[in-house]
Amino acid sequence: MYPVLRKVSITQQAFVLNPALTVCRARPSVQHPVWCTDSVNERQYRSMPTHGIGRWKYLLPKRQSKEKKKKGRQMRPIVAATDTAYGTLNVMVSGYDMTLVEHYSQYIHNLCHRLGIKVSESYALPTKSTEVMLMQEVGTKMYVDAVLKTHERIVQLSSLNTTLCPVFMEVLLKTQPEGVQLSVNEHTEDQFKARFKARPELEGLIAQINH
Amino acid sequence: MAAPCRRMANRSLLQFFSHFSRTAVRNTGFREFSSNSVCRASLQTKTVTETATSPWTLVAAVCLQRLPVISADLHPLEQEFKEMMLQMELERSLVSDHELRVLEESERMSRKKADDYDSDEEGSQGNQEIMLAQDMEDAWEQKLKNFQLAPRVTADIDKDLTSAQRCLADSLFLLAEQQVGREKLWLLPQTQWQEGETLRQTAERALASLPAGFKATFLGNAPCGVYKYKLPKAVRTESTVGTKVFFFKAILSDSAPPTSPSLLWLKKNELQKYLKPAYSMKVDRFIINM
Repeated sequence: MYPVLRKVSITQQAFVLNPALTVCRARPSVQHPVWCTDSVNERQYRSMPTHGIGRWKYLLPKRQSKEKKKKGRQMRPIVAATDTAYGTLNVMVSGYDMTLVEHYSQYIHNLCHRLGIKVSESYALPTKSTEVMLMQEVGTKMYVDAVLKTHERIVQLSSLNTTLCPVFMEVLLKTQPEGVQLSVNEHTEDQFKARFKARPELEGLIAQINH
Repeated sequence: MAAPCRRMANRSLLQFFSHFSRTAVRNTGFREFSSNSVCRASLQTKTVTETATSPWTLVAAVCLQRLPVISADLHPLEQEFKEMMLQMELERSLVSDHELRVLEESERMSRKKADDYDSDEEGSQGNQEIMLAQDMEDAWEQKLKNFQLAPRVTADIDKDLTSAQRCLADSLFLLAEQQVGREKLWLLPQTQWQEGETLRQTAERALASLPAGFKATFLGNAPCGVYKYKLPKAVRTESTVGTKVFFFKAILSDSAPPTSPSLLWLKKNELQKYLKPAYSMKVDRFIINM
């Protein structure tokens, strides 16, 4: 009887202690309301004691969501050439066969990745259509014989080491497919401006203001 | 592949900068050496340290290449894959405008030939075309048959080693027979370096000194390879221990270069038959064969 009684009393004491402990534990969460809002009310699942143990993003101060700027409106700064590296270079690939031109430009891009050359942009210029007109055998009228489309792709390299340049150029020349023209020139602001469409109304208004 | 090599070259360059004593006469030459990307940088800086009193004779050689004119033949596996892809793309593709026209006109012809044909019932598509799409297709087929393709492989020209038109699918390298010491050897055209000129100018002189004139563009100011040759002990003197040959790469720019019997255009695998083994080992390192 005695031992039983004593046991009961001990367990009762344990119960008394436990709420005190829980109260103590709850206080830290109340003092830091910045923590997850639900942490006070949320009860930890008994089966997942380490749930969310690595979370830290909620500790950072709230940042304004990045304003989405339209990519391409602002020109990337043109890197100037130094003694040991070329500046911003445009590798232009053009030809009549689109599959060849695209695959070759992709090959150049992948080659730059492998050689550690930084590629700043890779874009396509609008396709130009050329109509081939032949004179008719009888008469002077010309008729359309064929329509040839010239495709152009540009891979823009931000800087090319002069030590790597000969090796790069040699590989490019050796893997150039037939019917594809390759040209490498420096990037200028005019080339960038040429990609935008002309705005005749705006230009008309500006001319009116100036006159 | 190139990146780790570059890092190594930088480290070895730094080590040799500390040993550097003379930069006076060969300043321009040094700048060329420092811009070399191949791991030969260590050898080159060493030569510059011993400038006026160097026991080595310096020689510059030019590796003139003719780029491939046509793409290489496809591997049988590549050929099968290509055919399969073409077949798949054909089966998945939609009918084009021209093909639609052909189908419409063939239907119209078949309707015309039927007995109960009423031309007034014909649709409101306007007048019939003067040229049927089928006729145009036949005309195009005729044009294609009349067109002659140049042959990709001409067996006679391929066997002629002096012609620059052989083996259009591979890149060819120029070899010249030159007098070196007492014997005539087949090697890349070279001349000795003279005081006051850069090594690249020496290489250009080597190219110009060949019996046939070639128009070429040099790739870069730095040499792409080095070959060191020590003279046999009997001939060695105080002032000459041997020669160092620096190679420069150049690409042929004219399409129909003049031929000459003492000059050979060879593929990479044929070079080994004509070059000495030690020389060919160094040359093979910078010749890219794709």
